[in-house]
Amino acid sequence: MDNKINLSQLADLLAQAGGMSKAASEQFVKNFFDIISQNVLTEGIVKVKGLGTFKLIQMEDRESVNVNSGERFTIEGHQKISFIPDADLKERINKPFAAFETVEITEEQAASLGEMNQETSNDKSLTTKITDSMEKGKETEPKKELKESKKENAQKCDSGKCKKAIIWSVAGVLVLALLIILLWPVIGGKALKKADKDAKEKAPAPAVVKPEPKPAAAPAPKKEEAKFTLTKADQEKALPLFTAADTVNYKIVGTMTTHTMVKGDMLTTIALKYYGTKKLWPYIAKYNGLKPRQFKRMPVGYKVKVPKLANK
Amino acid sequence: MNNKQFLTELSGKCQMSAEQVAGQVQALIGVMENLWQNGDSVSLSGFGVLEVKKKNERVSVNPTTGVRMLVPPKLVLTYKPSSILKDKLK
Repeated sequence: MDNKINLSQLADLLAQAGGMSKAASEQFVKNFFDIISQNVLTEGIVKVKGLGTFKLIQMEDRESVNVNSGERFTIEGHQKISFIPDADLKERINKPFAAFETVEITEEQAASLGEMNQETSNDKSLTTKITDSMEKGKETEPKKELKESKKENAQKCDSGKCKKAIIWSVAGVLVLALLIILLWPVIGGKALKKADKDAKEKAPAPAVVKPEPKPAAAPAPKKEEAKFTLTKADQEKALPLFTAADTVNYKIVGTMTTHTMVKGDMLTTIALKYYGTKKLWPYIAKYNGLKPRQFKRMPVGYKVKVPKLANK
Repeated sequence: MNNKQFLTELSGKCQMSAEQVAGQVQALIGVMENLWQNGDSVSLSGFGVLEVKKKNERVSVNPTTGVRMLVPPKLVLTYKPSSILKDKLK
């Protein structure tokens, strides 16, 4: 592994494989590469069957910036030797990774990937699990869940490439389920609270885009997608008092009261206090014109206006 | 220069028959392929380095449709010309 093989070592190996003397082999290898390098300079192209094509290509002038001084300067056009390996050789070299295919990323997967990232921040050992199950996706997938996610993906893609996509999303769901199962006995009596907390941790990201009290026609398909995965995840956590979908069903109709932040207060705790659910906190953020970076760092003594909400 | 011309020139230089040269070229490429598959690189002074590099997976976006694709990681045979050869180009 990772050895640099030079001319004489290569000649030795060729002598073993090709049945020539070492001296003849060395001469042969030398000539082989001499001819390539000479002819690529004189003729511009050398094709060797089984190896590939060496070619002179013209690079255009281009602008660049000196990283030290920040000055702009032009890199003069020049010629470059390119090498394109033979298609067969290329395939054989790539054999260890041949099983992978290019996968189309759907919105849903982007959302579930985001979920996974949040989960991993809770439990770092999961990272390896996720990659593991992605690679071994085929063996680990249970058929029941495959069907389920097939249904989800059916509208999006029908092609064979989709298979990989399904495996990925199955892996995601699987890991999620695994985590819940693992955590369940630990949580025990506090199950509901813990699940609530989990959901809170999940809620902010997708919920941030939703606080605008616009008519239902407004949300783009992307938002609906996110909403869907969220509610699904919530159902898995068995705590559907308020689903994320509920958070868009209200409009702001004035100020209910003003709340002064004390130590330990967060937007979610305020929402819990006045509305009875943490999930309506985006309305407070929206009403006070808060920026996302302010959500988590509300100074003590800050006066927050709590909006009055009414059903749409 | 195509493969045939290449083989002819090589057989002239090594004073070997065309068939012999073709067989040796196959053997040489086979030997190098084994090296590459083991992760070794072939380094020849005056010519350059032929080695296998791993390209990481990446997300590419189709500029016309905006579809995001996850391109898998792959192993690619690369060639880096030696500085001697590069100087000859100028």
